[in-house]
Amino acid sequence: MVDLILFFIPAALIIIGALIVVFAKNPVHNAMGLVMTLVSIAIIYITLNATFVAMVQMLVYAGAVMTLFLFVIMMIGVDKKEQSSESIKGQTFLVSGVFLILISILGYVAISSEFKWDLWFEAVEFAVEGTPQLIAGTLFTAWIFPFEIISILLIVATAAAIALAYDSKRKKKDV
Amino acid sequence: MELLFLLPIFLPLLTAIFLFFNKNLFNELITNFFTLNSALLSFAISFYVFVMLALDKFQPISYSIFQWTNTPDIKIDFTLDGLSGIMLLLVTGLSFIIQLFSTSYMETDEKHNNYFVYFNFFVFSMLLLVMSSNFLVMFFGWELVGLSSYLLISFWSKKPEAAKAGNKAFILNRVGDFGFLIGLMIILNTFNTFDFYTVLKSASDVPENTITLITLFLLLGAFGKSAQFPLFSWLPDAMEGPTPASALIHAATMVTAGVFMLVRISPILQHSKIAGMVIISFGLITTLLAAFSAINQYDIKKVLAYSTISQLGFMFIAIGAGAYVAAIFHLVTHAFFKALLFLGAGAVIHSMHHEQDIRKMGGLRKQMPVTASMMGIGTLAISGIPPLAGFWSKDEILASVFANGGIYYIFWALGLGAAFLTAFYMGRHWLLIFEKDNGFDHSNVNEAPKTMTRPLIILGLFSIFIGFVNTPFFHGVEKVLHYSLEGVEITHLPEGITLIVLAVLSIGAGFTGLLIAYLIFSFEIFKRFNFKRINLDYPINLIKDLSFNVLYLNKLGNSIFVSGMKNFTRKVAVIVDGLIIDGSVNFVSTAFGKTSRVASATQTGLVRSYVVYFGLFLLLLIGLFIITPMVPQ
Amino acid sequence: MRTILKERKKMFEVTTDWYLTLSAILFSIGFFGMMIRKNALIMFMCIELMLNAVNLTFISASKHFGQIDGQIAVFFVLVVAAAEVVVGLAIIVSIFRKQSSASVDVLNVSRG
Repeated sequence: MVDLILFFIPAALIIIGALIVVFAKNPVHNAMGLVMTLVSIAIIYITLNATFVAMVQMLVYAGAVMTLFLFVIMMIGVDKKEQSSESIKGQTFLVSGVFLILISILGYVAISSEFKWDLWFEAVEFAVEGTPQLIAGTLFTAWIFPFEIISILLIVATAAAIALAYDSKRKKKDV
Repeated sequence: MELLFLLPIFLPLLTAIFLFFNKNLFNELITNFFTLNSALLSFAISFYVFVMLALDKFQPISYSIFQWTNTPDIKIDFTLDGLSGIMLLLVTGLSFIIQLFSTSYMETDEKHNNYFVYFNFFVFSMLLLVMSSNFLVMFFGWELVGLSSYLLISFWSKKPEAAKAGNKAFILNRVGDFGFLIGLMIILNTFNTFDFYTVLKSASDVPENTITLITLFLLLGAFGKSAQFPLFSWLPDAMEGPTPASALIHAATMVTAGVFMLVRISPILQHSKIAGMVIISFGLITTLLAAFSAINQYDIKKVLAYSTISQLGFMFIAIGAGAYVAAIFHLVTHAFFKALLFLGAGAVIHSMHHEQDIRKMGGLRKQMPVTASMMGIGTLAISGIPPLAGFWSKDEILASVFANGGIYYIFWALGLGAAFLTAFYMGRHWLLIFEKDNGFDHSNVNEAPKTMTRPLIILGLFSIFIGFVNTPFFHGVEKVLHYSLEGVEITHLPEGITLIVLAVLSIGAGFTGLLIAYLIFSFEIFKRFNFKRINLDYPINLIKDLSFNVLYLNKLGNSIFVSGMKNFTRKVAVIVDGLIIDGSVNFVSTAFGKTSRVASATQTGLVRSYVVYFGLFLLLLIGLFIITPMVPQ
Repeated sequence: MRTILKERKKMFEVTTDWYLTLSAILFSIGFFGMMIRKNALIMFMCIELMLNAVNLTFISASKHFGQIDGQIAVFFVLVVAAAEVVVGLAIIVSIFRKQSSASVDVLNVSRG
């Protein structure tokens, strides 16, 4: 019973948040919807025994990334009213087409497997705890190479961001 | 013995190759030395071989060089029998005499050595043709003779008329060869071999329709080669070549190849009545047409050219009437006196410093006595005056035609008319050149050099005496051709009184022709007597005009074939090439352009459309994964 | 009684498929959002949604197989997503300094 509640409530929040992200008019509402989604995902991570990752997600995503987003929204996208009509020809048609195909595939899968969700691989009985020790042990031994690369990646990203956003002609920054 | 009779065939080839590689090194004397010796040697060997054959009662011998496949039977094979023996002697003998003449005629020409290369090559091809033992080798010879003729006609290639004439000869020949080739294919299909012996022996087993078909196609080849109607117009134009070459090729040897071929296949030919009728009708048309056209020609050689066509028509008449021996006999006699006439004309041209219009000549008898008398002998021979050669052969033909009876009586009468015309135009020819004094100044015209007159004398002697080999009293040629024409029904001469009457009639025709020619051109009967009551000017001018323009047949042929073809091909070029081919190619390119323009509408450059494409194809992929059965581990 | 209770529990147990379904739904919503919205920032947020859906899949797979590698992969995805957000936002800022609108539809330079 508790599992169900612990699953369904964050799941509902996720979906609602995602829908807010897609359909809201005000960009700040979008950002808030995204925050809701991210936090709910973190909760689900905890139920899945990935405690460390959940914390990291909370910190990085919901903390840093969303702050960045909000900064940029404030800089750019707040006061402009977005036109609601579609400006690309045939886009609506194509989108609805994709949607229909998706529904049909889903329906086909559901019907052909007779509403049973049989996974090919059996679940393992014991649960693995996502403790920092376990993660660190694997990260710095087996996955050391990708780790080093993404550290380089981070530095590159920072440098790139500064290079891109640097505006030498601009004298004063308006908020 | 077997190899010996091959030697005269290949000796000219070796000479030609040898002279070809040295044509810039040798001067004229050396070339003359080599070619004359080679020709003399060929003739001597041919004579020896022929005598050997005669002693062996003309039993055919053959020798195979190279067998390519067994079935169908394709090989390179030569034979020496009576027929090919006669031709061998004729070709090598005339080759020597005419080459002797040519050394003097082509003396100052810059392409002297080339001439002898082509000449020897021609002799080789002709011998290949006559000594062949199967249709394939004969076809090789056939084609090579056409090629040599082209080379010799357009010898002075800088002259555009010569080049055009060479082209015309080759192309018209080719039309005939097309028929010949189809005939060959049918032969191979029917008999599964090309060999003469096999084909001619099994002729009676084959249905008559196939025989007719084969002979008609081969006949087309003979028409092309022997200048019969309608493929005759190349021969008068071929007079652009050097005169001795014309003497050999277009009088004595190449044009007789058609006749030779038809006599060779006479065992087959006799089974087809239709072919016989076709041959004799076309022969008659040709004879009369050519004789009529020769009446009013002005070029000294063109008269002789039309005369050749006419005499070839005679030979075809003989074949059509079944008188194969007479045809060959006339071939031999005609070779001699026509070669004589051509060489004489060459001597006249040479002495007149290359003037060829007979209206500008006249009274040359004083300056060129030997030539005049020899050409006179030739004229008498061709007119059929006994006891010269022409009488015996022409009379035999006419008598054989008469002997067939029925419709052939009409053919005989027409032949007699042609004989009359022959005498008339040849008489005119001789009289206008040698007899009638037109008042031109001919003081610088001298007799031809000895190297020219000696061959003339030799040929003159032959023209007188060669007729005696096949008189009604001594059938020499028939004996020679006995084995070659085995199984063939030959039309024989009528007996007794009929024969004498026919002979008298043909002598009368010849004599009358000469007499009328004398009256008109030498005695000038129209100028002396005024035929006031009958206005003869219009019909005479009409005859003159039609004769000179060969009944405007050449213009007709030109408008149908040449201009017609040009128009047709222009239409084809515009419609087929322009509209259809270019159109389809352009259509492909414009279609591509249009479709690519439509397709490039998907490249919007907008992120969102690309996202949509991502989604679409992602779903497609997922669908593929779902559909394909995958086995879980 | 105990077996019945166990069966009832089994029926309502939240198995891995549920998480996968949730992830799929989240992904599709993010994808449709990308297709529909014109504002560049919001499209970016939809990308984040999709990435998070993938992360969810990884974690649930990690629980399913009992291995820690799923969570490590999530780690990496997280880091890369953060870096990407930084750079992407910088690009958006610099593009939209030129044109004052935030719409993506005017950027069709690579049009064929």
